[in-house]
Amino acid sequence: MLKYLRLHKIFIKQYLKKLMEYKVDFLLGAIGFLLEQAVQIFCLGIIFSTIPALCYAKDGVVLDSWSFNEVLFIYGFSLIPKGIDHLFFDNLWSLGYWLVDRGDFDKYLTRPINPWFYVLCEKFCVDAMGEIIVGVALIIYSTLSMPADVSGAINWWRVLPVIAVMPFAIMIFTSVKTGTAAIAFWTKRSGHITHMCYMTNDFAKYPAKIYNGFIKTAITYILPFALTAYYPAIFILRGEAVWSLPVTVGVSVLLFIISQFIWKKGVSAYESAGS
Amino acid sequence: MKRLLRIYKPFTRAGLLEMVAYRVNFIFFLLGEIMKCFVMFFVWKAVFDSSDSSTLYGFTYDNMVVYLFITFLSGYITYSDGSYAVGKEILDGSIAMRMIKPVDFDMCFMFQELGGKILQLLIVFLPITVGVEAYRWITNGVFMLNVPMFFLYIVSLLLAYGINFFFNVIYGFLAFYLKNLWGTDIIKGVIVGFLSGATVPLAFMGGFGQVLGYLPFASLSYTPVMIYMGMYEAKEIIFYMSLQLLWLLIFVVASKLVLKSAMKRLVVHGG
Repeated sequence: MLKYLRLHKIFIKQYLKKLMEYKVDFLLGAIGFLLEQAVQIFCLGIIFSTIPALCYAKDGVVLDSWSFNEVLFIYGFSLIPKGIDHLFFDNLWSLGYWLVDRGDFDKYLTRPINPWFYVLCEKFCVDAMGEIIVGVALIIYSTLSMPADVSGAINWWRVLPVIAVMPFAIMIFTSVKTGTAAIAFWTKRSGHITHMCYMTNDFAKYPAKIYNGFIKTAITYILPFALTAYYPAIFILRGEAVWSLPVTVGVSVLLFIISQFIWKKGVSAYESAGS
Repeated sequence: MKRLLRIYKPFTRAGLLEMVAYRVNFIFFLLGEIMKCFVMFFVWKAVFDSSDSSTLYGFTYDNMVVYLFITFLSGYITYSDGSYAVGKEILDGSIAMRMIKPVDFDMCFMFQELGGKILQLLIVFLPITVGVEAYRWITNGVFMLNVPMFFLYIVSLLLAYGINFFFNVIYGFLAFYLKNLWGTDIIKGVIVGFLSGATVPLAFMGGFGQVLGYLPFASLSYTPVMIYMGMYEAKEIIFYMSLQLLWLLIFVVASKLVLKSAMKRLVVHGG
C-alpha cells in the first residue's frame, strides 16, 4: 500500500513535468472547463430569474422547494467528487478509447505493479482543477448568500460525515469508469459506453425529487450519481436524507467489487494487437 | 453539377461506410449526449411548475420540450468536425497528398461528412422528430407538425450546416498558428453553444439575446429551431433566412482567403 502511494507521487511528479512542457495546452484546457461551468451557471441564473424558487409539485400541490442558492449549492457540490475523480483517475478513458484497441495495454501488463493501478495513475489531469475550484467557489458563494437561518443550521455534525463518505462517492465515479472501460477488453473499444454511463451524472446536479420514479431509482441505485451530489448536499443543507450516507458506502463498495470483477475477467480476455 | 457529383461520390461513400463501421459507438455516444435533454426536460418541468404563469418569454412548457430536443437534433445534423480533420492533416503532413490531387480540399471533407450524415439522419433525425411530434400529439390531442414550416426548417438546417462547415474549416486552419486543438475546441464549443442558444433560448436573454440573434451563431441552430416551432412570422422567416445566406457567403469567402494564406505558410517535412 505504501509502495503504491509512493509510486503515485512519482507518477504525478512525472506528469507535472510533462505538463510544464505544454503550458499553453494546459491553460487552454483549464480555461475551457472553467468557461463551460460559468456558462452553465449563467444559464441557470437566467432560468431562475423567472421564478422565486424551484418547486416539486404533484397535482398542483407543492411538496418541496429549493431556493436558487440551494440549487447552486447542490450544483457546486456535484462538481467536487466528480472533479477529484477526474483529477486523479482520468486515464481510464484512454483504455476504452485506444489503449486496448491499439494494443498499447501490453505495456501495463509487463510492469511489476497492479495494471489497474498503473492505468489509473499514469495521468494526472490538472484541468480538473477548473471543476474543483468552481465547485468550491459555488458552495462558498451560495452558503454566504443564503438567509442566516438556513446557513446557520449547517454544522460540523453535518459536514464531517459527508467528508468521511466522500472517498466512497469518488469511488462511484471511478468504479463506473473502470467497469465500462473494461468492456473494451472484449469489444476493443468501449469509450462510448463509458461516455453514456458517465453522462447520467448530469441528473445528479439537480434535486433528485424533480425526476420521475424510474430515473430517481436509476440515479440512486444503478448508476448512483445522486449519492455523489444531491443527497450529501441536501444532508449538509437540511439534515435530510441521513439514510443516503450508509447507502453510499454500501453501494460504492458493491460497485467497486463488481467493477474489479469485470476488470479481472477482462484482463484475462485481453488480446494484444498484431503488430 | 453532374461532374461535381461524379468526383465526390467516392468521398460520400467513404463517409457513409465509416459511419456504418462505427454505428454502435455513435449510438452510445448519442445516448450519452441526449441525457442532457432529459435532465433539462425535468428541470424545465419543475421551473414551469414553480412559475405562476404558464408561459415564460412566450414559451409554454410544450414549446420548451420541443425547443430542447429540436435544438439538440439541429446541433447534431449541422455538426461539423472538418476542423479536426483539417487540423490533423496539417499536423501530420498528410494534407500534402490532398493538395496534389485535382479535387477541392474543403469539398472532400464536406462530401465525406455528408456521407456519414446519411446514416445519422436515420439514427437521429427520425426517432427524435417522431418522438417530439408524438409527445405533442399525446399532450395536446392534436397533430401539431406544420408541414410547410417543416420544409423551411430543412432548408434552414442545410444553410446552417454550410455555415458551420466553413466556420469550422476556418477554425481548423488556426491549427497552423495554435498547434493545439483540444483546449481551444472546448472553448469554441462552449462559446458557440451559448451564443447559439443551445442551453437557454435567446429570447430569455432580453435585449442581449436580440443582439445575439444577428450573429452567425444564432443562424446555426436558433433560426431553424424557431422556424420548426412556428415561432417566427413570415417576415421574420424571410429576414432570418436571408441572414443565414449572408453569413454562409461571408464564411465561404473567408475560408477561401484563409486557405490561400495558409497554403503559403505550409511546410510538410518528409512524406
